[in-house]
Amino acid sequence: MGIIETEKLNIGYNKIPVLKDVDLHVSQGELITLVGPNGSGKTTLLKTIASMLAKLGGTVYVAGKDLTTLPDKDRAKLMSVMLTEKREYDYYTCEDVVRVGRYPYSGFGGRLSQNDIRIVQEVMELTGISQLRDRAFDKISDGQRQRVLLARALVQEPEIMLLDEPTSFLDVGYKLEFMNVLKKLCREKKIGVLMSLHELDLAAAVSDRVVTISEDNRVDRIGSPKEILTKEYIGKLFHIHQGSYSLEEGFSLAAVNTEKMPQDNGVSREERKTKYIMVQGTMSGAGKSLLVAGLCRIFKQDGYRVAPFKSQNMALNSFVTEDGLEMGRAQVMQAEAAGVRPDVHMNPILLKPTDDKGSQVIINGKVHGNMRAKEYFAYKTSLIPTIREALDYLEERYDIIVVEGAGSPAEINLKQNDIVNMGIAKMTNAPVLLVGDIDRGGVFAQLLGTIMLLEEDEKRLVKGLVVNKFRGDKTILDPGIAMLEEQGNIPVVGLLPYMDVQLEDEDSLSERFESRKQGLINIAVIKLPHISNFTDYDVFEQLPEVAVCYVKKSRDLENADLVIIPGSKNTIADMKWLRENGFAAVLQKLEQDGKPIFGICGGYQMLGVTIEDPDGVEGGGCVEGLGLLEHTTILQGEKCRRQVEGKLPVIGGCFGGLSGQNYYGYEIHMGKSNDQGKVINQKNNVYGTYVHGFFDSEEIARGIVDTLAKEKKVTIHTEDLMDYQTFKQQEYEKLASLMRESLDMNQIYEMMGIRR
Amino acid sequence: MKKKAGIFFLLTILLLLLVLANICIGSIKIPLQDVFHILSVKESDAGKIILQIRLPRTIAALFLGGGLALSGYLLQTFFHNPIAGPFVLGISSGAKLVVALLMVYAAQAGIYLGSGMMIFAALVGALLVTVFVLLVSSKIRNMSILIVCGVMVGYICSAITEFVISKADDANIVNLHSWSMGSFSGTDWQDIYVIVPAVLIGLVVAFVLSKRMEAYLFGEEYAVSLGIHVKAFRVVLILLSSILSAVVTAFAGPVSFVGIAVPHIMREVFQSDRPLIIIPASFLGGGIFCLLSDLLARTLVAPAELSISTVTAVFGAPVVIVMLFKRKQR
Repeated sequence: MGIIETEKLNIGYNKIPVLKDVDLHVSQGELITLVGPNGSGKTTLLKTIASMLAKLGGTVYVAGKDLTTLPDKDRAKLMSVMLTEKREYDYYTCEDVVRVGRYPYSGFGGRLSQNDIRIVQEVMELTGISQLRDRAFDKISDGQRQRVLLARALVQEPEIMLLDEPTSFLDVGYKLEFMNVLKKLCREKKIGVLMSLHELDLAAAVSDRVVTISEDNRVDRIGSPKEILTKEYIGKLFHIHQGSYSLEEGFSLAAVNTEKMPQDNGVSREERKTKYIMVQGTMSGAGKSLLVAGLCRIFKQDGYRVAPFKSQNMALNSFVTEDGLEMGRAQVMQAEAAGVRPDVHMNPILLKPTDDKGSQVIINGKVHGNMRAKEYFAYKTSLIPTIREALDYLEERYDIIVVEGAGSPAEINLKQNDIVNMGIAKMTNAPVLLVGDIDRGGVFAQLLGTIMLLEEDEKRLVKGLVVNKFRGDKTILDPGIAMLEEQGNIPVVGLLPYMDVQLEDEDSLSERFESRKQGLINIAVIKLPHISNFTDYDVFEQLPEVAVCYVKKSRDLENADLVIIPGSKNTIADMKWLRENGFAAVLQKLEQDGKPIFGICGGYQMLGVTIEDPDGVEGGGCVEGLGLLEHTTILQGEKCRRQVEGKLPVIGGCFGGLSGQNYYGYEIHMGKSNDQGKVINQKNNVYGTYVHGFFDSEEIARGIVDTLAKEKKVTIHTEDLMDYQTFKQQEYEKLASLMRESLDMNQIYEMMGIRR
Repeated sequence: MKKKAGIFFLLTILLLLLVLANICIGSIKIPLQDVFHILSVKESDAGKIILQIRLPRTIAALFLGGGLALSGYLLQTFFHNPIAGPFVLGISSGAKLVVALLMVYAAQAGIYLGSGMMIFAALVGALLVTVFVLLVSSKIRNMSILIVCGVMVGYICSAITEFVISKADDANIVNLHSWSMGSFSGTDWQDIYVIVPAVLIGLVVAFVLSKRMEAYLFGEEYAVSLGIHVKAFRVVLILLSSILSAVVTAFAGPVSFVGIAVPHIMREVFQSDRPLIIIPASFLGGGIFCLLSDLLARTLVAPAELSISTVTAVFGAPVVIVMLFKRKQR
């Protein structure tokens, strides 16, 4: 019998289940890690086993005894915990803190016997904190603190220890050190350890077994790290994709001496302080987003933990994070380049324009309300604390933060109370790179003019100029650069070529919409007035033979081999627009001709019979849909946001070949359709799904293109078609190497205060 | 440990000196060497002054001050908040309000109020405000908002008390007014027989809880993992501190800053936050603080008297400010 057994354990908060039917088994001396996305229930599971939360059903056995009948005092002698918490214990020395762990054994007022004192000394010795005995607990480093807390859990002489992300505040060196101690003690003292961990490489290195909890809140797999922590599986579990995670690159514990604990080397906080760099442009579309992405990748390649940041984004289409929060796509792209998980703190404010004068204001990923531009202008200063908090959050976790400005810092009418450009630069004291766009002409005036319009203190922050999108012979430009440096009194740190990389970029959208390219296969995406999430179709742009065009006129559908009705921010208005502009009739005709039609999200809702809006979510009323599929939709106030993945069911029609293929993506919509929750709804050659990013999977994109090619009897080399995620990773690498060639990275590191 | 025992010794000496000073100094000065002599001749005027006025008052200041500081320490532990205290959280003012209502009502109806009734009324007021503060704290985890709420409730209670007083008959006003400002004057032996046992019982219960309190200092969930029944513990803790502050308020009215400042000074003096040390230390410190304050309140503007809160605020408020600054710097 294991030291901990759970039998059909159901857990949750406030009677709402989080995890169901958990059957776990931890033996003596065994180290088990819980791995899974945020919010999957790892902490809840640990807290339930620790009796901090009431279970909802099932049984927990500790050392063979049912936890519910085990007296609290006895439990405390069997089990100790170490939770993520940051608390200040004033006036407590490290020894005092450790001593408290003897609580279940100590006498009146916490008095310790000789034996207790001996145990405290021993454990402090073992965990390498003896010399910290009389130091104040709140004056030691994070790494030392975690070891003190580990010692506190150990003096309880437990048979089982529960740890919740014990390494989350630590940097790499401390993480390894901590795990070494833990592993060694767990072996020597035959303590069973159940621990949740974020760091998969650590989990792989230390665990005897790994338990994964998937996002749909169930225990997915249990087994040895080798079996479980494979690239494919982790990609699925965390929705990250090949290239962004590699176990081989992860560190191995063998590299560190496990015999002797390194005593603390006392790296000060100042030296570990997060460094900043900020990119501002002379105008929108100067190439800031891409430059930030490239810098993120370069820093990542150089071994730093990097996060992108843009305080406020204005964009139509958003991304949904794993926690179901919305953020700007540009920061997601940059986070991808940095190889880190996108986080709303990277873009705390998002404005989604609803019409010419107003926007939906989204703060920390949640809808805050609609505001007129003027209203927002007055409101925005109150968002400074939000921005500061986001930066603090990132500072705790990253070595470098690459900040992107918005528009131009020299909009003299808006400069007051700026919270996106110089306001942030001042707040963070970040060195600023000012980027000008030579492609549109007047780059010298752009750069010098912008500098001249800045205040003195702002000018001082501009540490380098960058000329972007240059094509042609560099030598012709050289004299101009020399004069630019002289007049602006700021060095030019880079002359970037026009970079042909295919990455999601807000600013490239306008160009994309105007494209009239024809290919062997034409995919027509209807350009709805309130189109949203249009990056869903970028995957096809890898193939030169495939043209994706955004059509505004119904007659342009005729050439199309596949028609896609995209997502919409206002389904009812866009449905009316479809009808008024004759799309409805054309689509019905195309359907009869057997032409494939795909509806995504809002587009899917339009394919149905009716869309009702009883709560007035989009202004109320009920409109007739296209009637190509048989479902009806009711819009509801509650926004559904979640990440999804799985295998497609058996489907018919021309894309029948997609049956059983893997898909992944995310849903974000208001409203429900009576389609029995199918992933994909199909009738004849008409398909509809709520899943954004549906085409991103290699199997699905290839399946669709192959089918269309066969139908049209053309040959398209889809072997080169990559999973969109892999493709993107390749593009990031390309971007980084192009930028390294033409940017003076040494100078940039120097202005950031990093010595290399 | 030796050092800590030394500090305890010094504090006890200081306390005894202040007790003597409180007995000797006043509008009639009584030399120390005469005190014991006078006590043996009970019939003299000076003997009456000591026995019937100064001695009960001194004992009241000692025990009520100790109880108040202890109550503050318990509340700080409970809320994990170093500036919690019966006065800032509005608990004293709540007690004051109910007592004032009762006093005015009793005076109008011509009923004599025993100290039992007073304590009961104070306890009702204290608990009402405590429940309110608990409700706020369950919704809001922010420590400054909690304090602001408490201060606001305190003001509301004080305003109503003022209103009640100005509506009351003249005869009661003098008595009520000096009481509602806080004062140890007018304490008699009857009161002492209630005050001393009540505070001592509180002190003993706090001692019994000291081990649990230490674990609780490290977080509620952590306390659970050490085998503590946290829910029950919290109820006992909050009841105990409410009773202590109710007793103090019933007899001396609301006394400000003792509850916050004293435990903090003691933590600094002992460089420890261990309940086993700070519980007796707070008691001693509270006694010292109030004896000194009462001495000053009586003598500074003699023959008139200052309210006790006037003096405690002058000494206590700077301590709180210094403490806040020190925290901010970290």
